[in-house]
Amino acid sequence: MDLLPFLLTQSLNALSQAALLFFLGVGLTLIFGIMRIVNFAHGTFYMLGAFVGYSAVRFTGSFWVGLVLGPLVAGGIGVAFETGLLRRLYKRDESAFLMVTFGLTLVLGEVIRLVWGVEALQVPTPETFAGIVFLFDEPFPVYRLFLAAAGVVVAIAIWQFLERTRLGLLIRATSQNAEMVHALGVDVKLVRSAIFGIGCGLAALGGVLAAPLVTASLGMAANAIIDAFVIVIIGGMGSFLGSLLAAVLVAFVQVFGAYYFPDFALAAMYLLMLLVLVIRPGGLLGKEA
Amino acid sequence: MPHCAGLSRRRLVQSAVAASALGLPVPFRTATASDPIKIGMPVGLTGPIGGVGAQMRRACEFWAKQVNDKGGLLGRPVELVIEDTAGNPATTVRKVQEMVERDGIRVITAIVASNEALATVPKLVEWDTIFVSGDNGDGRLTGESLSPNFFRPNVSGPMGTRAVALWLRDSPLKTFYGLGMDYAWGHNSMEVFEAEAKRAGKTFLGAVFSPTGTKDFSTYITRIRQSGAQGVYLVLSGDDNAAFLSQARQYRLGDKVQLLTELVDQMTINATGDASIGMIGSSRYPFTYDIPANKAFVAAWQETYGRPPDLFEGDQYQSCVVMQAGIEKAGSLEAAKLRAALEGLEVDSIKGRVTMRACDHQGAQQGFIVKVVKHEGMAHPMPEVIATYPADRVTPPCNKMVYDD
Repeated sequence: MDLLPFLLTQSLNALSQAALLFFLGVGLTLIFGIMRIVNFAHGTFYMLGAFVGYSAVRFTGSFWVGLVLGPLVAGGIGVAFETGLLRRLYKRDESAFLMVTFGLTLVLGEVIRLVWGVEALQVPTPETFAGIVFLFDEPFPVYRLFLAAAGVVVAIAIWQFLERTRLGLLIRATSQNAEMVHALGVDVKLVRSAIFGIGCGLAALGGVLAAPLVTASLGMAANAIIDAFVIVIIGGMGSFLGSLLAAVLVAFVQVFGAYYFPDFALAAMYLLMLLVLVIRPGGLLGKEA
Repeated sequence: MPHCAGLSRRRLVQSAVAASALGLPVPFRTATASDPIKIGMPVGLTGPIGGVGAQMRRACEFWAKQVNDKGGLLGRPVELVIEDTAGNPATTVRKVQEMVERDGIRVITAIVASNEALATVPKLVEWDTIFVSGDNGDGRLTGESLSPNFFRPNVSGPMGTRAVALWLRDSPLKTFYGLGMDYAWGHNSMEVFEAEAKRAGKTFLGAVFSPTGTKDFSTYITRIRQSGAQGVYLVLSGDDNAAFLSQARQYRLGDKVQLLTELVDQMTINATGDASIGMIGSSRYPFTYDIPANKAFVAAWQETYGRPPDLFEGDQYQSCVVMQAGIEKAGSLEAAKLRAALEGLEVDSIKGRVTMRACDHQGAQQGFIVKVVKHEGMAHPMPEVIATYPADRVTPPCNKMVYDD
């Protein structure tokens, strides 16, 4: 393969992976930005998305139903969890959140096992994007192009939502000074519930989209949560743009790292994280140093 | 203890009966005709190996029901004592110890993972208990780690690789590349394959190893394509295997390169659908194997579960049948008698004839090479036997993991 087509196909691969990493990381970082809590259950919501996607395809025959239903189910559970449990703990120190979100991981993981069973489940590539295109005579899956495009669309949508809408304004304000926002007569509790639900929904969206690549399986959650943490740490805790930048960086390092240095494929992502932490301890766009 | 002094004999007998009804240990109890034959199953039902464990449990339950419907074993009903080990070797050893001491169990089967089996076998003699493996593949179990009380009626890992190697010799493919998981099993199997490919006069162009838990295989798929090989040998399992096959299908990798693998199992086929079509590999039990004994088994299984039996279900079932034949021949569950009965035992099973070799307790049996095909009207693709190799070519020399030719 010549250099140009190689660079093009691998870059597109990296962008498709960046989209999945972004969906995972952005939810976690938004939740952290507003609530100052690390949501351990984030990977499990990602996994839940994949399984809901499976059932949607199974019972309605449509991948797109799953793409809507997955985030809704996860977002709904997220909101219920926040209002039912997390809300009682905001006065406690951070370890309480670690325990309770870790507990949610175990419970939700077990529920998924009971509902969907232990075997990995196939989510077929949606018919519309199941084909291949030829880039310089190299076959490339259309679904990966779709993933990359979906990443761009969702990133722009979140950015516009944060910049243009009233809820977006409140979210940004709450992340800077929650007490002041509260003093101005805004129900901060509602903002927190909303952002927790949105974060979990975004993770599930990533899960539904990843399912045709990796199948829906019980191993997804543990894998995903580590990736999500790495994205958030590299990008800077609470930074939307940071998570976008980090997702793209990590994806490129993973794809090209695995190609040129396959023996260090696993280490590449962590080396990048180490490098960023040494140069900027607060992450690329993080506020705290 | 003074308050025990007034205990009457009648009272003692009553409490003993009550205790046995509750399944509590009762000293000095001897087996009678109506006592069940208890088979211990320290099987991993949760955790990453839970899928395989569920298959093995199902196979044992199916077998036990068949036996009990026909009046039991040695005229006694078979009872399965099932404990979840979660795939943890330390838990397995503890659970078996409990089975032996608490339930008086003399025969165990259905340990899922080889590291669990390897942790258990050194204590079998001390426990005076026979372990009939249902799926454990590690070559060492009938080699350097062989316990006199261990028997393996199932196909071992080296036997699977061997079948692939034998198929390789007849295959028109000339150049090969490898993709394996980056840990002991991946490297080990790849080395064996490389040696076998070279012995068959083929060109091995190199291999790449992906870390366990890899989600994006695009880079590895690119490498396989760039190698220009006609065939790629895959040593992947579980989620990694499913992810690779799904993505290879999206890249149309199979159009240019023949996918080969050590073990073709229905779980992966079901998880990846059409992505597994065309793949060639060994099978420990292909349910499509066309002999009367197997057809009867598949029909009965289909009636119970509404689907054909998977690989570990067939392999475990065969182990149960061998265990049953051994117990019938020995007329007893005592380890010494059962060991003598199993050594050299020949059983005609669902996979054909199995001979339990006296020298290393490995079940000598034929090897299968299958290709994944899809038939019209079937929900899932299925493995179809494309080659079988006789027992004497597939089974390694006694106590060995490598072959002489």
